[in-house]
Amino acid sequence: MFHFEVVTQWIDEFLRTYLTDVWALLIEYVLIGVVILGVYAVLALVLIWLERKICAFFQCRLGPTRVGPLGLLQSVADMVKILLKELIKIDRVDPFLFRLAAFMVIIASICTFGAIPFDKGLLVIDFNIGVFYLLAVSSLGVVGILMAGWASNNKYTMIGAMRSGAQLISYELSCGLAMMTIVMLSGSLQLSEIVEQQAYAWNLWRGGIPAIIAFVIYLIAGHAETNRGPFDLPEAESELTAGYHTEYSGIQFGFFYLAEYLNMFIIAAIATTLFLGGWQPLYIPGWDAFNSTMAFIPPVMWFFAKAFACVLLSLWVRWTMPRLRIDQLLNLEWKILMPLALINILLMALWVIYL
Amino acid sequence: MNYIKNILLGIWHLMQGMYITMLNFIRPKVTECYPENRGKVEPLGAMRGELVMFHNENNQHRCTACGICQMNCPNGTIQIHSKTVILEPAGEDGTPAKTKKVLDKYIYDLGSCTFCSICTISCPQNAIEWSKNFEHATFTSPKLLNQLNHDGSSLMEKQK
Amino acid sequence: MQVIKDLLAQLPFATIEQKEKEYTVTVPKEKLRETATLLYNNTQLPFDYLADIVGMDYGDELGVIYFLSPSRYPSYVLILKTSTADREHPQIDSVHDLWNSAGLYEREVYDFLGIVFCGHPDMRRLFLRQDWKGYPLRKDYDANPELNPVPLSNEDLDDMENMPATVIDINGERIKNHTKLFEEEEYVVNFGPQHPATHGVLHLRVSLDGETIKKVDPNFGYIHRGIEKMSEAYTYPQILHLTDRLDYLSGTINRHATCLCVEKGLELEVPERAHYIRTIIDELTRIASHLLGWGCMAMDMGSITAFVYGMRDREKIMDIFEETCGGRLMANYSVIGGVMQDIHPNFQQRVKDFIPYMRKMLKEYHLLFTGNPIARGRMDNIGYLSQAHAISLGATGPTGRASGWSNDVRKIEPYAAYRHADFKEMLRTDGLTFDRYIIRLDEIEESLKIIEQLIDNIPGGAYAAKTKAIIKLPEGEYRQRVEAARGEFDVYINSRGDKYPYRIKFRSPCMTLVNTLAHIAPGTKVADLIMLGGSLDYVVPCIDR
Repeated sequence: MFHFEVVTQWIDEFLRTYLTDVWALLIEYVLIGVVILGVYAVLALVLIWLERKICAFFQCRLGPTRVGPLGLLQSVADMVKILLKELIKIDRVDPFLFRLAAFMVIIASICTFGAIPFDKGLLVIDFNIGVFYLLAVSSLGVVGILMAGWASNNKYTMIGAMRSGAQLISYELSCGLAMMTIVMLSGSLQLSEIVEQQAYAWNLWRGGIPAIIAFVIYLIAGHAETNRGPFDLPEAESELTAGYHTEYSGIQFGFFYLAEYLNMFIIAAIATTLFLGGWQPLYIPGWDAFNSTMAFIPPVMWFFAKAFACVLLSLWVRWTMPRLRIDQLLNLEWKILMPLALINILLMALWVIYL
Repeated sequence: MNYIKNILLGIWHLMQGMYITMLNFIRPKVTECYPENRGKVEPLGAMRGELVMFHNENNQHRCTACGICQMNCPNGTIQIHSKTVILEPAGEDGTPAKTKKVLDKYIYDLGSCTFCSICTISCPQNAIEWSKNFEHATFTSPKLLNQLNHDGSSLMEKQK
Repeated sequence: MQVIKDLLAQLPFATIEQKEKEYTVTVPKEKLRETATLLYNNTQLPFDYLADIVGMDYGDELGVIYFLSPSRYPSYVLILKTSTADREHPQIDSVHDLWNSAGLYEREVYDFLGIVFCGHPDMRRLFLRQDWKGYPLRKDYDANPELNPVPLSNEDLDDMENMPATVIDINGERIKNHTKLFEEEEYVVNFGPQHPATHGVLHLRVSLDGETIKKVDPNFGYIHRGIEKMSEAYTYPQILHLTDRLDYLSGTINRHATCLCVEKGLELEVPERAHYIRTIIDELTRIASHLLGWGCMAMDMGSITAFVYGMRDREKIMDIFEETCGGRLMANYSVIGGVMQDIHPNFQQRVKDFIPYMRKMLKEYHLLFTGNPIARGRMDNIGYLSQAHAISLGATGPTGRASGWSNDVRKIEPYAAYRHADFKEMLRTDGLTFDRYIIRLDEIEESLKIIEQLIDNIPGGAYAAKTKAIIKLPEGEYRQRVEAARGEFDVYINSRGDKYPYRIKFRSPCMTLVNTLAHIAPGTKVADLIMLGGSLDYVVPCIDR
């Protein structure tokens, strides 16, 4: 099995042979920053293209076909367009908060992105409280959204932001509880540790029924946290035009746009890490030939395949279902998902103790 | 019990919906790439694209410049400019000259046409008809002003 | 009917004429209130459905015509007329407290003819700007563009929110007063004129309490083209091309109605073939319109995929129209005396192919959306409209039928070839959003049945009757009711024997639907407002005319 660990360690040793430790670290930091931002942007472009194409296929359309073969370069063209667009100065907004909001949203998203273990050794920092970090940082985004809604001085954005606040804070709970279920199973908050444990059985099988329930809860709550699909009330284009980012233009809008798509990927990636074995290949006890073939596929590929499968599921759901109303949304969370998640934690405790 | 039954029933209905979208995912797509399919797809039947005047191979049309279409048009889309030609000059014995009103210019303003088709159904000579050309885009509006009779065309002889 | 005769006998001051099921009652304006109250409040046969109010300028007098029907016997029509000789300050008593639908109709009459309705609390103009000079449908209206230049500034908010009214105080004095539409501290949100979910350029001013709606004030006129005014200068064949542009989704039905009205006046015998073709085209239009309505409602609820499916299947109908009629949206097919051209040879085959396809797709729609628990959760128990309220609001069409009000003009007064088809009038009783949703899909099914029965039996013969080159309608008043996709569409023509109508009025089914929205939306959430709009399925050019 080829792990990215080899590459990163080689770079580290190479730098240290020629430079002092301080300089080597500095260069590594810059390198990591550039790589993270690059992968972030490329992934966003891929996701935007994917969403447009898949949504079109669900709707009996062809989707983008003009720029590049199959419209592959469409999102690149869009990116160039969005970079060149004017940032419209809006009268009577709170200029500081207005600009800060877009950064808040994207910084929260990038910070979460950095902690995802794509492969052994291919993550920025391996916290011993990784799951906690993910929860903490990803919930920063809601501050940005509230800020955007408030600072825009627009009634639509205001309603959108308030909806968003209510929605994100509620769904964070069941999201966190579902993640805690897995933490109980693994006995660790460290992401690399959680993934390592799943070498021979993914948490989804290992944890039995409580893990499956947790997975479903996580998918629903995570989907709601991305403000998409049946849970797109904060944007709700048929009601609030574009919700909290109605007033944004140019690259500021681009930040919201990027963050939205990357959040979708991040939710899928966390689901992969916690439930679907991260970068671990599929392992079926007894099938040796099958297992060795599976192990031959690079772990990074495994990770992305699983994450994109989750993304596909979320797209499928998004383009099938109508939107919930705000009271139904909160009912779903507080009356169904949260109690279920709490009971599920108990179940998982029993599972861990007795099995 | 009812609570769980409702949840399961709900999930079943959601799955049905997702089955429909997946069904459409694999169906052939209904949209087409427009400029590429030129020539492959024809506008259908009686499609009203733009007004044209029928000319035969001798560059002759049927319009007698009677002006009924111009009068009937609700939007002032049609302007008929006629001229008078002298068939026989005035006789020396005082007989008046034999003149005839013929079509000089038949101006059709596509920009203000609403395609109501009153002109074609009211034309006694069936001189104008609809073509299926639908690609009308121009950069300036004066280009939408068309002369329908060809240069040097004349009135078709009545077939006996 | 004896009951009506007994009722009218109680009005000694009224002049009464009877023509089959139409009773024309003319009363002096002082007695209007009394007459209206009697007609509305009597127990034997309450005339509880006010179809339309037409403002008239008779030249010397200004008049108002009320079209009333008892909802139990909707084929009977009572035409209540009154007029005032005062052209400077014309005043007529308001009936808005009897019929809810009168609220907007009276504002429309005031807007176009300047008749002030005493007791109406909101005498703002309905379509034109508040600062418009003159009343356009008066015969002495000065259309000089210098009087009303194109405005370059926004309409004053004070004008829009200040509701002038003339009310009668306790002493019987007529006093003018003003009320404010919204309180100072209310949170007012504009939905429209540019908004993704208003189905056109409709402007709803909505007062919110958190997410809950407190008050809705519709503001029309953004696409007002003055079709009724324009028609007064057009010949009858020319008017037809405007009718397609009223409610563009049921354009052929509107045009059919106008043709029928003119044919009624000319006493023209229309060939049976034309009747059959018109009916089939009408039903296809209805299917197309309901498909779009279904899709838009789904889109309003956030399911864009359903919208695209609706559009995809509507495209099949548009292709049939393109082939036979020539136009897709503006089909321009009916003409006075028949249809414009014969059907295309492929027409019958295409329609026959479409019917099984549509049935299959309807099943998919039900699987995709009707059963969806999210959609059901949104639509159930929201937007209740009682039958009495629906009648009072004049909410005809699928909306009224969802509340249990049998108002299908195709059944009440069968026109064209509907008497040859065997079909049911779809009725539901609950009056909830879900009923309004499902009744459209049921009506598609029923329309398919009508088409199925007619398509093979199109009789031969001419497709249009010969008409004179210049059509002059004999002097008189003519009215034709048809069932458009959204409700009852009426054409009223007052002719003075000229080739132009003296006054033409189209009853817009959509205006009452927006009024319905303003009545049922308070108390629901913002998301419900949009969905209710989708379930009522109004089209704005039909309102604005």
